[in-house]
Amino acid sequence: MNTRVLSVRRDIQAEQKADAAAERERLGRRGTLVINLLSSPGSGKTSLLEATARHWAGRRSMAVLVGDLETDRDAQRLAPLVPVAQLTTGGACHLELPLVQRGLQALGDPAVDFLFIENVGNLVCPASHDLAEHLRVVLISTTEGDDKPGKYPKMFRTSQAMVVTKQDLLPHVPFSIEAVTEDALKIQPELNVLTTCAIDNSGIQEWCEFLEQQYQEKIESVYEPAGNQ
Amino acid sequence: MHERSLVQTLLNQVQQIVADDGGGVVKEIQVQVGDLSGVEPLLFESAFTELAREWFPQECRLVLDIVPVKAECRLCGQCFEVQDNEFLCPACGTGPVEVIQGDQVKLMSITVDSENSVSGAKS
Ligand SMILES: [Zn+2]
Repeated sequence: MNTRVLSVRRDIQAEQKADAAAERERLGRRGTLVINLLSSPGSGKTSLLEATARHWAGRRSMAVLVGDLETDRDAQRLAPLVPVAQLTTGGACHLELPLVQRGLQALGDPAVDFLFIENVGNLVCPASHDLAEHLRVVLISTTEGDDKPGKYPKMFRTSQAMVVTKQDLLPHVPFSIEAVTEDALKIQPELNVLTTCAIDNSGIQEWCEFLEQQYQEKIESVYEPAGNQ
Repeated sequence: MHERSLVQTLLNQVQQIVADDGGGVVKEIQVQVGDLSGVEPLLFESAFTELAREWFPQECRLVLDIVPVKAECRLCGQCFEVQDNEFLCPACGTGPVEVIQGDQVKLMSITVDSENSVSGAKS
């Protein structure tokens, strides 16, 4: 009997990360900014996307891939406004790149300005999976408590923006925007913080302007340095 | 519970690496799990126990090495261990920091038993 030890020392997700990087490059090159939206269930991802679609109607093109455990209810809400495809995980707690690519194919791989991926409601598992996004945004609603960043550090560490939703409820809930911002910035000092309310539309314009600025920085100035100035 | 899908990814790679190296019976797999990897070690171990039974006919041990999060300041170059999720440079206090350890699940090594000594298996 011969025993040998094979030394590997490799990130087990290296291959998936490389696939995601290639897909990100492909989508960026043809002018699509991909945004991965993550949050707990019920924090208002679909409402934010509805408000975004209304704000941009006729000016900016967008499509949405909706990740859901079982139902297509969120996709049905968005369908009248924008191209939308449902990604049903069959109970899995997160999305992975092949499912996203299948969803894109189902939509006919549209060359929209913004492709949103509405991830499964969960702040743990989705943090570990690169879906070819250019921008990772974590949502936190005022109804769910302001102690989320410390509980889910990986999610906040890997995000570039945090959107506080349901701002209109602030007078009625024990939630401090200052406290949650301070905690989140310790984990990710470069985090952009935005506050919105999809019911009265407050903060939606700022949110859309932030995305347009990200589009400029991550797509236009990277892939078309000579043209479209 | 994405630990199951990570363990599946891991076992796929183990099989591939061992096959490429001439095959044999996998006895032990060493894995490094960072505190910022998003992996719950207990869930990872139980997913391993469950899946390894399907993948390997013989007993295969999982050795998990949990490593702390380390970061490096992009401004002043200071390396430090991240405590209490504070990603602030302790030296200059201002620099953006980059995580250099602890945000991954890494396959470190595989111990393999084989009947014959492997000779000429590698090109
Ligand atoms: Zn520093």
